[in-house]
Amino acid sequence: MPLDTSTYNLALLRVDGRRWNELRRVHAQIRTQAAADGSSYLEMGHTKVMCVVTGPTEPGPRRGGAAAGGAGGGGVGSGGAGGKAEIVVGIVIAGFSSVDRKRYGRGDKRTLELASTVSNALAASLHTNLFPHSQINISLHVLSQDGSLLAALINAATLACVDAGIPMTDYVAACTAGSTSTYAANDEGADPLLDLNHQEEQELPGLTVATLGNSDRVAVLVCESRVQISRLEGMLAVGVDGCKQMREILDRVVREKGVRMIQEGTVEKGVGLGDIDMD
Amino acid sequence: MPITILPPKPARPLNTSHGAHPEDGSSLSSDESDSGGGGVGLDDGDISMNLPPTTTTTKNPAHSSHAHSLVTPGESITSDPQWMRGHGTYIATDTTAITSSVAGTITRTNKLLSVRPLRARYTPEVGDLVVGRIVEVQAKRWRVDVGSTQLAALPLSAINLPGGILRKRTETDELQIRTFFAEGDLVVAEVQQLFGDGGAVLHTRSLRYGKLRNGVFVAVSGVGGGGGVVRSRRQVWTMDVAQGAGQVDVILGVNGYVWISKHVETPAELEAGGATGAGAGAGAGVGITNMEEIVSATMYSSQNDPIEVETMREIARLRGVVMALVENGLRVDEDMVVKGYHEAVEMALASADGPEDVYLGDERGQQLAAALTGL
Repeated sequence: MPLDTSTYNLALLRVDGRRWNELRRVHAQIRTQAAADGSSYLEMGHTKVMCVVTGPTEPGPRRGGAAAGGAGGGGVGSGGAGGKAEIVVGIVIAGFSSVDRKRYGRGDKRTLELASTVSNALAASLHTNLFPHSQINISLHVLSQDGSLLAALINAATLACVDAGIPMTDYVAACTAGSTSTYAANDEGADPLLDLNHQEEQELPGLTVATLGNSDRVAVLVCESRVQISRLEGMLAVGVDGCKQMREILDRVVREKGVRMIQEGTVEKGVGLGDIDMD
Repeated sequence: MPITILPPKPARPLNTSHGAHPEDGSSLSSDESDSGGGGVGLDDGDISMNLPPTTTTTKNPAHSSHAHSLVTPGESITSDPQWMRGHGTYIATDTTAITSSVAGTITRTNKLLSVRPLRARYTPEVGDLVVGRIVEVQAKRWRVDVGSTQLAALPLSAINLPGGILRKRTETDELQIRTFFAEGDLVVAEVQQLFGDGGAVLHTRSLRYGKLRNGVFVAVSGVGGGGGVVRSRRQVWTMDVAQGAGQVDVILGVNGYVWISKHVETPAELEAGGATGAGAGAGAGVGITNMEEIVSATMYSSQNDPIEVETMREIARLRGVVMALVENGLRVDEDMVVKGYHEAVEMALASADGPEDVYLGDERGQQLAAALTGL
């Protein structure tokens, strides 16, 4: 089913009724699994991802509860002499997650590449030098896919790492950007689009970008489709802006949970920021 | 496929709250984005791209949490150079601003600012009482899981060797290392020494420490803030329990591992009891001096003593109390456990199943937590 781009030009609305600069509904939760060190659940539209973080723990197979299941790999840093924690990411894509049922094997190359990308992205932010001789296991489960899968995985992993209390420079927030017409159309007036869904991702050029917190420092940039270089800057600008919106959303989720924990008395109140500045 | 064109919505509140640079394309009003043909202004994009790499403040309107002094990763705490940075913070490159690296609350010790995470793994400190499980036996030491970032080491030289006298370890001891502790055994120990990389060395050179038996193990996750065991004056105590079930020992390891067991009179206590009974008044303080008389081979036994059903039930009830405290996000310390236990006994008496009812899940747990927080 081709995307009716002519309709976009008429009303400037996309197939799901969004404007070019709108994110899909994002719903996120942290601490979904009580037994895990850190856990999160994230929905970006109909892309649904669950994440469990174990660690930092002693490296080695099957220690500390959850070994990285499924498509393991994507280890960054050496658990041994490197003086840094190793980040091991395992991604399991459920067979029922997309429209056509499909088995994703253990050694699926695409899944392995996703794992290694997530691992590298987090390695840029996590302070792994604080945990030598140890390993951080990140286990991601894809429950439903509707585009922007890599972005959802990165966001979920970031939230789970925050929940696990692993020190990091800043959130790694990710999001996708695309362009309204295909590469072949060679349309000079093509607009950039924010947060592609599955249908758009299939037919339009797109890229995934992740930035470090509120800065413009790009931690991940993945583009797997052909796109004119002239459109790239616009797509990147929109993507980076989407990442900032995403950071605010993730931050709000963490804050809500934290404020609730403080109110319940689970965590002791700290010193107010205002008190610090005063003296 | 028919395409339904939805009426234009007003701009998302998110965009407006995010208006750090209003000239940026994404925060255009809906009119402008319609008339503008939807093209992103590349000049604007350049402006946003040329922002300084680290924005010093990440103020958003939803910062009501400042009242709770909650900070999240990447949030600048202060740029005043008089403060020193502690755990949970870092200094961003090219700035002097102390920035938080975890989500948590700020603590201040004189001029040291640190952020205590909402939840993290256990970080050992010298003197901590921990409960651990042996996972590996090596030639001269054991490796113990204490819930930390690494396994802790328990050297053979740091345990009480049986044989009546306080002695040095010998080669025979090394050959018999599995007769003291084997894989899967639980121990209560104290952190003796720390390594720079976060590793810890334990010791059990006291009669209070050693192998654990006659009880049940509970792992309380989320130490270091979120509803876990907190460092307190008393981590170990013996309490009388209901139903005439005798006494129960509770050990709250600082690492979040809890051991609840039947209280067994140690030889020292028996001796002390006998001595005071005889009026000798020789209050046998168990210390390192008279330890040798007491240490016997039984302290490395893995065999449980006979335990009455009533005692088992009360142990199970205490375990339920600890789990209920954790599930409802309350801290686990002596005060809370003892109060919670008495509350649980009351609840069981009032329940339909009578005093033998030890179930404390779901609503019962919430009821227990409500009663405790109401006190």
